[in-house]
Parts: sequence; structure tokens; C-alpha cells
Amino acid sequence: MSHSAEVNHRWAMVVDLDRCTGCQACVVACHAENNVPVAGEKQAAYGRWMHWIIIHRYWEGEYPNVKARFMPVMCQQCGEAPCEPVCPVFATYHNPEGLNAQIYNRCIGTRFCGNGCPYKVRTFNWFRPEFPEPLTEQLNPDVTVRSRGIIEKCTFCVQRIRRVEIEARAQGREPQDGEVQPACVQTCPPGALIFGDLNDSNSQVSQLARSRRAFRLLDELGTDPGVVYLKGGETDV
Amino acid sequence: MSEFRPEPSIEPENAPEFEERLLLLEREDWEINQAVLQPMLKSGWVFWVVVILLGALVLWGLYAWGYLVYWGIGVSGKNRPVYWTLFITTFVFWIGISHAGTMISAVLRLLKADWRRPITRGAEAMTAFALMMAGLYPLIHLGRVWKFYWMIPYPNNRFMWPNFQSPLMWDLVAIFTYLIGSGLYLFLALIPDMAMARDHTEGWRYRLYRTLALGWRGTEAEWHKLHRALAIFSVAIIPIFLSVHSIVSWDFAVTIQPRWHSTIFAPYFVVGAIYSGLAALATILVIVRSGMKLQEFLRAEHFNALGKLVMVAGMAWTYFWFAGFITEWYGNEPVVRELIHEEVAGKLAPLFYLQMTANLLPIGLLVFKKVRTTPALLLVTTLLVNVGMFTERVLIVIGNLERNHLPFNWGTYRPTWVELSIVGMTFAGFALLYMLFSRIVPYVPVWEIKEGRLRYTLRRIGRLLIPTAAEIE
Amino acid sequence: MNNTITLLALFEKSTQTAEAIDDLYNLGIPDENMTVITGVPYPERSLGRHREWLTLPYIVMGGAVGGLLFGLFLSVITPHLYRLDVGGHPPVGFPPAAVITFVFTMLAIIVSTFLGVLWEMDFPRFGTAPYHRLVTDGRLAVLVECLPDLEQKVRQVVNSHQASYVGEPERLVL
Repeated sequence: MSHSAEVNHRWAMVVDLDRCTGCQACVVACHAENNVPVAGEKQAAYGRWMHWIIIHRYWEGEYPNVKARFMPVMCQQCGEAPCEPVCPVFATYHNPEGLNAQIYNRCIGTRFCGNGCPYKVRTFNWFRPEFPEPLTEQLNPDVTVRSRGIIEKCTFCVQRIRRVEIEARAQGREPQDGEVQPACVQTCPPGALIFGDLNDSNSQVSQLARSRRAFRLLDELGTDPGVVYLKGGETDV
Repeated sequence: MSEFRPEPSIEPENAPEFEERLLLLEREDWEINQAVLQPMLKSGWVFWVVVILLGALVLWGLYAWGYLVYWGIGVSGKNRPVYWTLFITTFVFWIGISHAGTMISAVLRLLKADWRRPITRGAEAMTAFALMMAGLYPLIHLGRVWKFYWMIPYPNNRFMWPNFQSPLMWDLVAIFTYLIGSGLYLFLALIPDMAMARDHTEGWRYRLYRTLALGWRGTEAEWHKLHRALAIFSVAIIPIFLSVHSIVSWDFAVTIQPRWHSTIFAPYFVVGAIYSGLAALATILVIVRSGMKLQEFLRAEHFNALGKLVMVAGMAWTYFWFAGFITEWYGNEPVVRELIHEEVAGKLAPLFYLQMTANLLPIGLLVFKKVRTTPALLLVTTLLVNVGMFTERVLIVIGNLERNHLPFNWGTYRPTWVELSIVGMTFAGFALLYMLFSRIVPYVPVWEIKEGRLRYTLRRIGRLLIPTAAEIE
Repeated sequence: MNNTITLLALFEKSTQTAEAIDDLYNLGIPDENMTVITGVPYPERSLGRHREWLTLPYIVMGGAVGGLLFGLFLSVITPHLYRLDVGGHPPVGFPPAAVITFVFTMLAIIVSTFLGVLWEMDFPRFGTAPYHRLVTDGRLAVLVECLPDLEQKVRQVVNSHQASYVGEPERLVL
């Protein structure tokens, strides 16, 4: 585990809803980066999809004046996560860099954390995940492939965070702002996802978090999420 | 204007209800021993057929459990957001059933209510077996059950330790404590009867009872110590049983899931458990009474008193349910309002009305003495109570998970054969254990009945001849 | 004391037993040499015997303290030894610690009551002991240990209170 010299990072993400087109490229990128299995149409219809980031979509209005409202939701990496205290084996805990860490090989699958999360971003491996043939070639070696009976969720691509931190330390410097890019942030075509260190007041996420358009999801519950949403104008799609 | 004529003096011969009460006064000690031992030693073919059926159900359930472990939790009906379904529902149900045993044997012993005497052992056995069935579920619902031992605090080379802030850990220690407590209580009160059985049987039974009787003879010193220990047990087990169901309720109440995060859950669950458990006890007693021909010991007065207790527990349950419901309904919080709408007027409405009818109707029925003292009517009424209470658990655990803060995350639930088989397995397992228990252990606590007999005499007050109880012990 | 003999007398009623015991006292047989065996617990002083002093309550209190300390250790000390932070709560909070401590205290009380009563009764004891099977059928048995020259007087006393059997106790393997 790496620490910065004086103060820890607090990794955070900003989601600019005015830029998001709902293209779902982030969803696919996350699957590819984190070895997230595909549940199949039938299982997904029953609520058992495995996406770590998912585009919430709501329909408004009647035909022909229908509007789609959407926003990408991933684990909010809450500062006061309601999912953490309830795990009987400490499979989820709060690491010093502000991430809500999920330890796959510790999870015994009580699914208590799934009930605690108000955003319901925690997915459970209901069966043994299967990767049909060519997909096995593209599994990411930096990320564990989980077995059945384990809860998983977005980790802010902690493997990419670690790689950048290790390389930076090897070069004797701090990670630069924008150097760490989770898969979804890297892939997003309109650049609606921004990632950085909230404790660095000059980073892009800190500046955007102070914007007039900023809000946080389910803020009233007091979970202190690490994801900030920006919304000012209409999303007319 | 009618003439008032005083009734003739009541003598024991023409006093039917006294006759029942003092039936046992007429019996010799050895007659009581034989009346209790005979049904144990002889079992009809009906008994064995039922045992085989129950065994088959248990085996089928074990197969379903193996299927679940091999293929994954996905073969059950769980999904996101309904992460907990029938397994946790039945878990709460069994914990609820287990509370009646302690109420009867501990609370009524402390209150010196004599009518508890013939039923304490049956009640305590119900507690012990219900807890065993309940204890299976935290294992069954685990995603990786083969790693369950990580919840046990033992020093290890991974420097990993369980999280004592988690309500599931509190569940683990509390249920373990309650199981040990009620098992030891059952055994301690059993020792003198093991000695009695040892003295009257032969063969493998003699060897079994001799071991379990631990060399009991019945000296004054032994009785004195046993009484002291039982008194301490009775007092100690009451906080345990109150805390166990409160802890189970906190599995739900400590999350911020709407309609779960309610302070009333702890007393609500405890009262519901008492209601459901006492009703189950009445059901079991009616069945055992006719199956083992214990009409002499389990008389109308016992069912009358038990029926009144069930009724009072039902009224208490209604009060707590309403206290929770009115605050949620009035507060109008969006998700809570949506959940209540689902329950009262939506997809879950049939279950909700089943719950309310099956829980409230018995309260009205039990007002009538005829219902309380007629075994068949009492059986139907108390079965209805447990149908209602199981439905209530279904609505609390499953119904309240279907809605949450973000409507995109709303879901539904459909049970599968795996879940239903495993639920059936525990019901069959409980019945099987109970039936085997009734053939191995004297069902009626003989020494307690004889002790109770010492207290009763007939006393004349004016024209009436009344059974009076002496204040001993 | 090797030349003492043991006699067992069976009575049908508690009043007979109590009077017989009184007369046996008057014969000079001390309290420790008399044992009353019954199938039903009779109230404390109904048979004229002294009340025994028990260490059981102290065993239970000791057990309770032990359980309390163990529960406190598990809930308050061990989170500091194996430190993991979880969101929104300190490693040791009052409510979880209270629950765990309470449960372990109660568990210790229960277990120490059970083990304590077994220890005080010297159970399990599987060996021969003077006994009579009719005790569980409702008789009250009085076991008397006395010197052989008192035997006749003892038999006389006991028979005068309608003992249904006087003689050697069944030495059963219990």
C-alpha cells in the first residue's frame, strides 16, 4: 500500500450529466477491465446483471413526448458507507485512500452489504461466472476472477490506481492529476467522467466538485459519497 | 318472579370440573410413571409411517441444499435487490417459535403458575429443536458456505478477525448461547425423570437412561441443588431469550433500508415470536396429546390457560404492528409510502390480507372458552396464527426489499423449488426430531407433576368444595 | 467407621417419615448418617432436616464475571489488535460492544450454573450406591448408617412408623 508524503489521497469521480450521452461505453469498458461476467438475457431480466457501472434510465412522459433521463451509477465509495459495518468477516472495509474496498477472497456471501447499500450497486455472483471461449483470452491478469458466492462492485479500478502509484514512487514523484484513469473514465467518448484526488484542491475533480452544478446522489442519507454529479441543463434525448 | 332455591352442596362426585383438576390426586405414583412410560415404549404403525415420510422430506431437502451449494445461490429465487428471501424468512420464523418454550418453562416457573407443569418439557424441546432448525439457515444462505468458519473468532496466520460490529456476528453468539442455554435447561430438568425411566426399563433404554441420569438418586441434597440450579436458570434464560430475537431483528433494523430501519423492530419481533411460539406450542400439544394418549396430563385447564396466553400475545402483537404501521404511514416518506402501497394495494396485497386475517381472527376466536378448550378448534386456530406469522415474516423480509431509494433498482421475487424444498426440510426435520424425542424421553415431566400434586387438596368453603393449592417451594 | 451397617427403610407418607427421623435423632444417630431419598422433592424443612449451604451462587457469580471479561475482551480489545476501519463507525462502538458483552456474560452464567450444579452434586457418578427402585414409585426412603448394636432399636423405631420395608438397600449400579 502506498501513501503520499503528507496526506492521503481521497479518490473521487465526477460524472458530468450534461455531457453523458448514455452510450454505455463505460459499462463495456468496465466489463473488459475488471473481468466482469455477462449474466445473459434471462438472468439480467430477473435483476441479476453484473454491471459494476450501469446507466440508470427513466422514461418520462407519454408517446410522442417521451424523454429518457439517464445517469451512470457505480459504487459511490461512500465515506460513511452503510455497507461496511455489516459484513461479519470484514470483507469490505474503508481503506485510507477513501476507497470502499471489497476483498473477494474474504467474502463468504451473506449479502448483508447488498441490503445496506442504498444505491444497490453491489452485485453478487449467483452462479459460477462463465466466460465463453474467445473472452477468456482477454481477461485482465491484474484483476481476480471471482467464483460463485462472492459480492463484487466497482473499485475505481484500484489496480490502475496502484500501478500509477507504484510507477510514480519508483520515479520518486507523486501521481499527476489525470494520470490515474479507471477504465470507464478512459473510455468515455464525450469525457463525461473525470477522476482524481479530492484532497488535492487543484485537481480537476476538486474544482468541478465546487461547481454550481454539483450534487451528490442520495446525499440526504448521510453516506458521504465520493462521486459528484454535475447537472445544469436539460438532457434532451 | 321465580323462586330462588339454593343449589345442593357440591361434593367431589358431582363436580365435573373439579374432577378433572384432581384426577391425578386419585392416581398412585407408579400409575403416573406407567402412563408416561407406556406411550414411549410402544409406537403404532402410524407413527412409523409419519417418521418415514418426514425422513424422506428431510432427505429431499438435503439434496436441494447440496444442489444449491454446487450450482450457486442462483438456483434460488434471489436477485438484486431482493438479496434475502425465504431462507432468512424461515430463519426468523424458527427463532420466533423457539421463544415459547422459554416463556412456559422459565417465566411460568418463576410466576409459580402450576398449569405449566405438564408442558414444560414439550415446550423446552420445541425451543431446542426450533433453534437447531434456525441455526441451519445462516449456513444455508451463505454464498460460500464452506468458509463459514471465518465467522468464528480464532487466532489465525492471516491476522483476520470477524467483525463484531456486524449483526450477523451477534446472531451467531446469541443463537449459540440460547441453544446451549435451552439445551442445558432441558437436560437439567430431565435428570430426575431419567432416573425414573432408568428404574423401569431394560436393554438399550436402560443403558441410555442410566448414562443420562448421571447417577441421580433423589437425596434431599440433590433435590435442593437441582432446585437452586433451575431457579438460577429460569432467571438467567429470560434475558437471553429477550435478547436473541431483538438481535435477529437488528439484522434488519440497523440497515437504512426503508421500512426496516425502525426502532420498533426489536420489541415487535419479540412479541411476535411469543405469539407465534405459543400458538405453535398449542398446536404441538394437541397433536401429541392425542397421539400419545396423554389426555390425563394435558387437560382442558391447560389448553384454556395456554389459549388465553396466545390471545394476549396476539393483542400485544397487534399493538406493536399498529404502532409501527401508523408512524410509517403518517410520515409519508416517499419510499416508505411506495412500500406500504405495494403491501396494502399492490402486488403483495393478497399476502398482506392473509397475514392480517390469520393473525387477528384467532384473537377473536380465542375469546371463547369453547375454542380454547376444544382441542380440534384450538389446533385449527393456532395453525392459522402460524400461517399468519410466517406470512408476516415473508412480507417484512422479502416485501420490503423490493423497493428502495432509486426506482431503477426496484425488483420482484419468485421462489424456486430449491428454496421451497429447503424450507420444507426444516419443517419436516423439526417434526421428525420432535417425534423421535417423544419416544426417547418421557414427554411429561413426571417429577414436576408429582411435586404439583403435593400442593393440592380439596377444601370446603361454605357450600363449595374447592381445590386449593398450598404454597410450597 | 468400618463396622457400621446401612439400613434402608421405605415409608409411604411424609408424616411417617418425619416422625421416624425425629425418633432416630433421639436414638443418637447424627444427621450426617441419615439420608432421605425421594422420588418427589419435598419442601425444605418438612422432614426435619437442616438446610444445606451451597457454593453454587458463588460459582455462578464467578462465571458471570469471567463471561463479562471475555465479552469485553472480544468486543473492545480485539478490534484494536486486528484493526480494520469500516465506514461511519469507530472500531469500538458502545452498542455492538454492549451486545457482545451481554451475550457472553449470559452464556457464562448458564454454563457455570450447569457445570457448578454438576460439580456440587458430584455428578456424574456411575458406581454402586445405596438406593431402592421403589423410590421413583412414590416411596420415601431413609438410609441410616449406624453401629450394629443400634440395629435392633432402629428397626423398632422404623417399624413403629409403618415402614413398608426395612433391610439392606439395593446396591444398584447407577
